[in-house]
Amino acid sequence: MSAESYLASPRGVRSWLLTTDHKRIAILYLVSVTLFFFLGSAFAVAIRLELLTPAGDAVQADTYGRLFTMHGVVMIFFFLIPAIPTVLGNFLVPMMIGARDLAFPRLNLLSWYVYVLGASISLWAIVHGGVDTGWTFYTPFSTTYSNGAVVTTGIGVFITGFSSILTGLNFIVTIHRMRAPGLGWYRLPLFIWAHYATSLMMVLGTPVIAMTLLLVVAERALGLGIFDPARGGDPILFQHLFWFYSHPAVYIMVLPAMGVISELVTAFAKKNIFGYRFVAWASIAIAVLGFFVWGHHMFVSGQSAYAGMVFSALSFLVAVPSAIKVFNWTATLYRGSVSFRTPMLYAFGFIGLFTIGGLTGLFLSALGLDVHVHDTYFVVAHFHYIMVGGTIMAFLGGLHYWWPKISGSSYPEGWARFSALVIFVGFNLTFFPQFLLGYLGMPRRYHAYPPELQVLNVMSSAGASILGVGYLIPMVYLFWSMRYGARVAANPWGASGLEWTTPSPPPTCNFETTPVVTQDPYTYSSEEAQVVG
Amino acid sequence: MTDAVMGELVPYRSPRAHADRTSRLGMVIFLASWAMLFAALFFVYGMIRARADVWPPAGAPRLPIALPALATVVLASSSAALVRSLALLERGRVRSASLALGAALVLGTVFLVVQTTVWRSVHAAGLEPATGPYGSAFYSLTGLHAAHVVVGLVALAALVIGALRGSYGPARLLPIRLWAMYWHFVGVVWLLLYVTVYLV
Ligand SMILES: [Cu+2]
Repeated sequence: MSAESYLASPRGVRSWLLTTDHKRIAILYLVSVTLFFFLGSAFAVAIRLELLTPAGDAVQADTYGRLFTMHGVVMIFFFLIPAIPTVLGNFLVPMMIGARDLAFPRLNLLSWYVYVLGASISLWAIVHGGVDTGWTFYTPFSTTYSNGAVVTTGIGVFITGFSSILTGLNFIVTIHRMRAPGLGWYRLPLFIWAHYATSLMMVLGTPVIAMTLLLVVAERALGLGIFDPARGGDPILFQHLFWFYSHPAVYIMVLPAMGVISELVTAFAKKNIFGYRFVAWASIAIAVLGFFVWGHHMFVSGQSAYAGMVFSALSFLVAVPSAIKVFNWTATLYRGSVSFRTPMLYAFGFIGLFTIGGLTGLFLSALGLDVHVHDTYFVVAHFHYIMVGGTIMAFLGGLHYWWPKISGSSYPEGWARFSALVIFVGFNLTFFPQFLLGYLGMPRRYHAYPPELQVLNVMSSAGASILGVGYLIPMVYLFWSMRYGARVAANPWGASGLEWTTPSPPPTCNFETTPVVTQDPYTYSSEEAQVVG
Repeated sequence: MTDAVMGELVPYRSPRAHADRTSRLGMVIFLASWAMLFAALFFVYGMIRARADVWPPAGAPRLPIALPALATVVLASSSAALVRSLALLERGRVRSASLALGAALVLGTVFLVVQTTVWRSVHAAGLEPATGPYGSAFYSLTGLHAAHVVVGLVALAALVIGALRGSYGPARLLPIRLWAMYWHFVGVVWLLLYVTVYLV
């Protein structure tokens, strides 16, 4: 008596737009964040085209300012922050804990509509001239001097924030209250721990950026004077508030990615995770510590020297739990039977690139070195290694790993491996030269540069076009596979985890009967379970 | 392959008590999030104050103390009336519970009237939202709080109507319980606001 798959019934656009099924909402999010990803990429293409030559010739300086701002705003607020939690998280959190849905299914749908509303308002701002403040909206430029659509964009981002809060709230309550019988906290997949930690940051951090943007909008539109020095305000105060959210936002982007990697590494090394509790608590430690390091963005903003030292030390400290995770994944691989399927290639990509991104982060948390490379391409390269090399690699890896579950069909492995390789090569060619450019002193956010830096810039632009092709290929074959891919069984990878015990694609109710959990996670072989468990 | 799934039959639909606790946890998380919204503004206020040489800043009037104190008492009584209403409802005394609910609504409205009077007097004394950081922070904080009071009053009005129609009883008081949590939150924020902005 197998129920129909969630994809098959009910039919019709209406049933999709009014669905409260977490799996369908995940698909709605997948479609929307993919659209925004390609929109953000289009801006990146324009940026790399301009930087092909030293002279600022392809676009005006003002236009260039709008291009990199919209690239940042779209990628961060409308793709990177929501991507993994709202697509993979929405789909998998209930399935992994043996629940029928999230705790508040209608709230979940509402959060998608809030996202769409906020994103549409910002999109409207793009069409009406765009913004030139950078995604950081620094005052007093944003409140007083910018001639871009700061108010509209700000309101759009403000609204989208509430979608984030609702999703985080839903996950926290779901993980507390909806776990299947026998599923204690230490039996949860690490993906769940990562999403729990992420949700904490979403719920507690996002209101601060919401309030900050509201104050910027009020200052610009109603003449309030909190940040504008001309009115007695304090622009540094804005930076404190902005980074109080926006540093944790980095972890909102990367913690779920780490959760994905924990699943991939265990599934493709066929081993239990090394040091489960360390990895689990590292997520929580990152979430907590992440709230106390925001000042490392302000080393040259004129905060006190003591504040700088404290923030520098704390920033070094937050690298510890991240390093624990990297070491534990590597230790998990040791003596595992590793298979090099596409998701695992992405996991390898993540571990390597995230490590480079993390280590260069340590350069930047060192007070002296940061003064030298602050606001240069070194910083740009660093955070792209974290966000593109980390988050997007994990997102693609997770998407391939769970694609058979989501769509019920398998993707073409050859094409998938090929595109993973193209992405890896393209990524490094794009962003590694930027470390060198930054070290040589090329500042970010300018559309012209000295001719001696052209070679590295051309390399970067060439890499970007390879990267772009690499991203288009999966988009095509994943879409293709939904119709033409081979049908798959419940557990094509032979992986552990409750999501693999139900048909692919799952029925609307997820499980015919509520599963009862009697084992720890990642039990890939019984001897293994005895040794490690 | 995992054999974590045993074929045991457990019904999906959770009992009401379970669902109620889930909703209440949701409200707790929601209010924790909302607390951060106010925390950001309190931080702004604190920073402005820490940077100021004299307080209140030159040219800004001294804020009244007595009238906001009255507002504090009024809002606290409104919260108390809501607690009373829930207790009565649990014992099935729907009629008196509706009355207590109505009292909470009336007291909340009185708070808004007092707040408006305070705004008028402060504004008449020369403090404008756009004169500088102090005025901006004062009106943002009190304004955001008042907006939350308005939302609470609308909800209370709906609850009163529902209670009079007999929609609530000992077995069904979750909506009132959730809004009561919200209302107490608004009260606590006001208390903090009163202490930081008017007293200290
Ligand atoms: Cu940071």
